[in-house]
Amino acid sequence: MAASTNIATTYGLRLAAPLAIFYAAFFLAPLLILFYVSLHVDPEMTRFGFTQYAKFLFDPFSLAVLGHTMWIGVEVTLLCLVLGLPLAWLYVRAPSWAQSTLMLVILLPLLTSVVVRTFSWIVILGRQGIVNTTLASLGLIDAPLKLLYTEAGMVVALAQVQMPLMVLPLITALSKLDPSLLDASSALGAGEWRTFRKVILPLTLPGIVAGCLLTYAAAITAFITQTLVGGGQMLFMPMYIYQQATTLSNWPFAAAISIIFLGAVLVALSLFSLLGRLSKGYAHA
Amino acid sequence: MTPDRRHFLTSALALGALHAFPGISVAQAHRLVFATFTGSWEEAHRDVLVPAFRKANNDAEITLDPMLSVDQIAKVKASLANPPIDVMLHDPGPALQAIDQGLIENFPIAQSAHYKDLIADAQLETGPAPFFQVVGITYNPEKIKTPPTSWADIWKPEFKGRVGITNLNSTLGTGWLVEIARMRGGDENNVDAAFKAIEELKPNLAAVAANPGALATLYQQGQIDIGPGNFNAIQILKARGVPVEFVAPKEGAIAFQTSIHIVKNSPNKELAAKLIDAALSPEVQAKLMESPYLIVPTNTKVKMSGEIAKVLAKDHDDMKKKFVFQNWRKINQQRAGWIEKFNRDIKL
Repeated sequence: MAASTNIATTYGLRLAAPLAIFYAAFFLAPLLILFYVSLHVDPEMTRFGFTQYAKFLFDPFSLAVLGHTMWIGVEVTLLCLVLGLPLAWLYVRAPSWAQSTLMLVILLPLLTSVVVRTFSWIVILGRQGIVNTTLASLGLIDAPLKLLYTEAGMVVALAQVQMPLMVLPLITALSKLDPSLLDASSALGAGEWRTFRKVILPLTLPGIVAGCLLTYAAAITAFITQTLVGGGQMLFMPMYIYQQATTLSNWPFAAAISIIFLGAVLVALSLFSLLGRLSKGYAHA
Repeated sequence: MTPDRRHFLTSALALGALHAFPGISVAQAHRLVFATFTGSWEEAHRDVLVPAFRKANNDAEITLDPMLSVDQIAKVKASLANPPIDVMLHDPGPALQAIDQGLIENFPIAQSAHYKDLIADAQLETGPAPFFQVVGITYNPEKIKTPPTSWADIWKPEFKGRVGITNLNSTLGTGWLVEIARMRGGDENNVDAAFKAIEELKPNLAAVAANPGALATLYQQGQIDIGPGNFNAIQILKARGVPVEFVAPKEGAIAFQTSIHIVKNSPNKELAAKLIDAALSPEVQAKLMESPYLIVPTNTKVKMSGEIAKVLAKDHDDMKKKFVFQNWRKINQQRAGWIEKFNRDIKL
């Protein structure tokens, strides 16, 4: 038995080799070079040291930028979840002819470039945009509201841009849910809310966690949307890196920020998956 | 996913690789490569400069490889012994970086037919300026009936929530900061007055855009009605029917030299010098001054006409009086500090 397992394993590894080489050459190697660059004291890269990391980690302003970026990710992820869950539910429950239309609607954002999607949000949120003109014609506001270049506007735009990343895993998880479980739950006297909390939520948690992981990672690194809808006065990590790397040519600092950002994102993502693992116990309880 | 991030990564990679494997490059001959800027610059150079150069030089082969200044520098730096680019185009800030890092070759002035005709501010031996970029006040004439005349007008209370600026990532934003410092008694060495002025501008500020392109979009959306703007960017908007006008403020319009350089160790030095000479020639500059390019000429033999004569300067003497040039060597030395201060202090 042991021998055959071994054969299967080696076979599998060999199949994965092209991908592994690809990753080593185009992901791991650049990452190592990035790390190497970050270990320099001066922008000319002549002396080694950890000063770039110290500069970031002991600077309250830089830490605030990191914290704010991570927090934006949480806001976007929650909004995507709250809006995405009903949408995924609707899709799973819809008749099959409606499903294909719905799927097209859900996928539509992925079929257009992120730049185009972001520009459309500039049009929607602008002073003469759809939201402001509608509110004004309804007589609800006298002067246009400031929506563009605000944090709230940016979070909404990011949520729309990243929505498919949340909805698709949710749909997969919800489609696997056996409808008879819901009938059983209600037959046993559970109300809708109780069924949702005790049956649907635990059973779809893997999908929720997957969706949250994808949305979170995409939202905090979304340079274009953050820049164009958030504006130049709100500084987030991608812009901070860009600024140091391109405008100031301070590559060691930019590299150090990138590594720190990567580390922070990895910590956040492992927290998510830990949450997912813990919840599995909850599902079986 | 985002072009900027990709650009950044290739740049970082190039530098990293350079340090990890010195001497990796092998010399080889190639056709002349001119790294212009993307967008309207590429168009102008493809349509006017390249045909003129080829006509004058026996149909010599040339490739346009449009990219940002920072990428040009990264690519040349990564392979200095055998640069993939022969001619670079830069704003004043990056130009000094390229010069300081020893990436460029001085322009052979003696062999140039047109260098002597350039106005003094364009005569740079490290690489002359065939074009100027100009920053003045942009406004929406549908909303603002009395055209502004001074940078100080932006602070008027009537423009509450109507002003847009960019942050200091761009040449535009940084140049504007220095000019505002000058208006308030400071200069390149002392921009504290400008930061104080921006603090006072906050009630008027509707937006701090991340780059000049994003700023231009905001006029289109009616998000802002007045602010500093690049003459050429505004002309492009205007041609698309956006209600915007450009005025040179009475303090003078901020002018930047867009300089063109021969890359060190280029195997095509002679052709590179000829391409630069073509860019300096009155024929090419006169054509580029016309619509839709509207690029400000630096050759005094070019007679100003059209929109440029109307809005900016009627001849090169007028230009000397109306344009303000800044000391980018001093600016570069302090820019990191200014950007840090801007990051920290300018919150809306």
